[in-house]
Amino acid sequence: MEDLVEAYIGGRPGYHLSLAVWFGKSSNGADEHLLLLYSNALLDHFVTDRLSLLWKTGSQGPPFVEVSSVSADRFAQLLATGQVDNKFFDRPDVLYFDKALLNESILKKFNIVTEPAGLVKGWYVDADQAKLRTMRDILSSRGDSRPELGLVKTWESPDFESCRGLIHIEINQRWLPLSLVGLRQFTFFNDLQAGKPGFFLFRGGSIYEPLKFEEKTEPRYSSLVLQRSSDDRYPEVYLRSVHPSEKPAA
Amino acid sequence: MTDTLKSICDQCTHLKNPQLDFVPSDFARHRQILARDLRELLSAAAAESEKSVVVLGGSILEAILYTFIRGQSEYIAERRGTFEFNPDHSLQNYVSIFNKWLNHLMPGVLLPDAVVNYRDLMHINREINSQPGICTSASREMLRILNTLLGGLSELVAPTSPDV
Repeated sequence: MEDLVEAYIGGRPGYHLSLAVWFGKSSNGADEHLLLLYSNALLDHFVTDRLSLLWKTGSQGPPFVEVSSVSADRFAQLLATGQVDNKFFDRPDVLYFDKALLNESILKKFNIVTEPAGLVKGWYVDADQAKLRTMRDILSSRGDSRPELGLVKTWESPDFESCRGLIHIEINQRWLPLSLVGLRQFTFFNDLQAGKPGFFLFRGGSIYEPLKFEEKTEPRYSSLVLQRSSDDRYPEVYLRSVHPSEKPAA
Repeated sequence: MTDTLKSICDQCTHLKNPQLDFVPSDFARHRQILARDLRELLSAAAAESEKSVVVLGGSILEAILYTFIRGQSEYIAERRGTFEFNPDHSLQNYVSIFNKWLNHLMPGVLLPDAVVNYRDLMHINREINSQPGICTSASREMLRILNTLLGGLSELVAPTSPDV
C-alpha cells in the first residue's frame, strides 16, 4: 500500500497529494480501501478507482484496493457539515500527509499530531543582530516567516521572569525535542557555549535569553514530547525573560 | 560575535578531511563531484560567503543523501518490505527517507526540515519571505549539519540487519 501511495505522490500532474489514509483494513482478503486528498480544488467530488494491489507486477487480479480521491478543501467542507461517510474513519492508518496542505479539522479528525501541547514557535537572533535593533523591531520583522525552533516549557517562575524548557525542531513535519548531541548542530547552542548568547523570539512576543543547557534524567518529560528519549535524558534550557524594548549591551 | 564560517570550518574535521567511504565503489563520478563540491564549500566558507555556503551546502547535502540512500536501497527494502530508489525525488523526499529509514544508524545526526528551506534560499522569493539574516544562521547550521552527517557516515559500519 505504501508503494501505491508513493506512486500517487507527484504522479498526477497538477495535483499535489495532501493526505493518504488506509482505512477499513480487511482481514479476510476482501478489497482494501484508500482515501486520497489533493490540494487541487477542482477535484470537488469523490472519484473512485479500483485497482490491483499487485499493480507493480502488471497483475490485474486480486487483492484489490478501492481508491477514493477528493480535494482536501471539499473534504474539509463536508467534514464541517457532517457529510463525510464514517467509513473513512474506520481504523484509519495515515500513510502520508503534507500538513501545509491540510486544515486543522482534517489533521484533528485523523489524529495527526505534529506538535506537543504548549509548543511555542519562534526564531533565534544572534547577539550581533540584536545589537543593531531593538527586540521589538526584530520581532516585527519576523512577520510570518517560518519558525526555526520551538519551546515546550517545563517550569516557569511565578513572576514570569525566568523559565526552563525543551527546545524542539521540526523533523519530517513533526516538532521533536533536541538531544544534547543534536543541539551541537545549532548556532544558538554554539553561541551560548562560546559565551556569546543571542535571544529566542517567540510568536506572540515572548523574548528569552538562554542562560545554560543542562541535561537531566526526567522520565516525566516524556509526557510533554511527541518522541520520548530512549534513556529519558533531556537537555533543558534555562531562560531569562527579556523586555521587547530592551537593547542588549554591545 | 557569532562564529565566523572559517572558524566553524576549522572545527569541522569531517568537512576538512571528508571520508567518502560510504560512496559505493562503482560510483566514481559521485565521489569526484562530492569531493570537488566539498573543496569549493571550504573555499566559500574561508571567504565568509554565506549565501554561497548555504546554496552549495544544500547541493552537497542532496548529493550525500542521493548517494547514500541509493547505496542502501537493499537495506531499506529489507526494513520496509520494498524500496525502489527514485533519482528524481526532491531533497525533501531524501531527507524524509533518511530520517525514517536510516537515521537509527547514526543517532547523533539530525536532519531538520529546515535544511530544505535553507537549500531553497537559492530562490530569491524564498529568501525575501524569510527573516532578515537567514543566510547568516543557515550557513553556520548547514556547515555543522554536513560535518555531523559526514562524521556519522564515516563511522558507519555497513548495516546488515533489518532489525537494528
